[in-house]
Amino acid sequence: MDETSDDELVAAVAKGDERSCRVLMDRHLARIVALGRRMLGNQADAEEVAQEVFLRVWTHAERWQPGRAQFGTWLHRVAANLCLDRLRRIRGTVDIDEMPNLESDEPGPDRQLEERELSARVEAALQLLPERQRAAVVLSHYQGLSNIETAEVLEVTVEAVESLLSRARRQLRVSLATEKDELLRSREMSA
Amino acid sequence: MQKEITLKRFAGIVDAYGASPQRWPDDERAAAEALVAVSAEARALLADAAALDGVLARAPVDAPSSALAERLLAARPRGVAANPSPKPQAWFIRSLIETVWPYGSPVIPAGALAASIVLGATLGSVSDISVLTTETTITASVEDGAEDSLVALALAEPAWPEEWMQ
Repeated sequence: MDETSDDELVAAVAKGDERSCRVLMDRHLARIVALGRRMLGNQADAEEVAQEVFLRVWTHAERWQPGRAQFGTWLHRVAANLCLDRLRRIRGTVDIDEMPNLESDEPGPDRQLEERELSARVEAALQLLPERQRAAVVLSHYQGLSNIETAEVLEVTVEAVESLLSRARRQLRVSLATEKDELLRSREMSA
Repeated sequence: MQKEITLKRFAGIVDAYGASPQRWPDDERAAAEALVAVSAEARALLADAAALDGVLARAPVDAPSSALAERLLAARPRGVAANPSPKPQAWFIRSLIETVWPYGSPVIPAGALAASIVLGATLGSVSDISVLTTETTITASVEDGAEDSLVALALAEPAWPEEWMQ
């Protein structure tokens, strides 16, 4: 595994080193796409955001100042801001009637279909969260950022992050109550 | 000495961060884990949070497409020594054209554009027809998110460097 630091890689990227570009992408691209997917709810938009994030890295690599910020946290900050900007632009255009029915518990013809339906319901439940709450859940729960890093990315206090997370999980608990109960039942049966 | 937390605070932690101790605040993790070891109520709260975590883990995620990685590599910075000429390199021009017109050969739309310019100039020189640029047209193109992205890609927009240069 390559142990070169992100700061060293960015410096090499600025000099046009292809290998360093590849290593940086290997390290961070999938995570940034995943962030976009969970914030925006579709892969195409997620890849567009990730592309914009990395183009900014390429463009500003020469001016990166090592030690001023964690590169990974900076990437999350840019990506989260781009996602929030997109969501603000499309706010009000989403028809809630077009969202998948979260209450649906019709059994699918096979296990694979059930899994896909469950995934779609979880994704839809995330999309129904208010933007800031969704960002907090995505950064903390899915991206694994600490509460301090999440606060830094969202430019709020740690207490505010905790409040956003609590409200988000409460809403998710309601939206996904059926799915949660089914999971508990299946665990009890397999125990 | 290890900090102690109440059951109420523990409920607040799992309510916000879920069941995985890795996600809990660093300065409260040890105390929260100690409470779990001795409190059945804490374990019940933990099990309930774990069930929600289990459902949330089903959110779909796909790996980045190879096309995305290829586009990014094509647009990567080029070292000064490798590119002593200030002229745009062929790869950049190709990449720019493909970004603006990703539907195959750009010869047809380019020809159509040239023909429309010639036709417009001819008509303009023989008549009083004027070209109207309406605000509606401009607004529509600015609000189009897809076009914004294309422009950003084509120009590798230098705006918004965040705290990069602070």
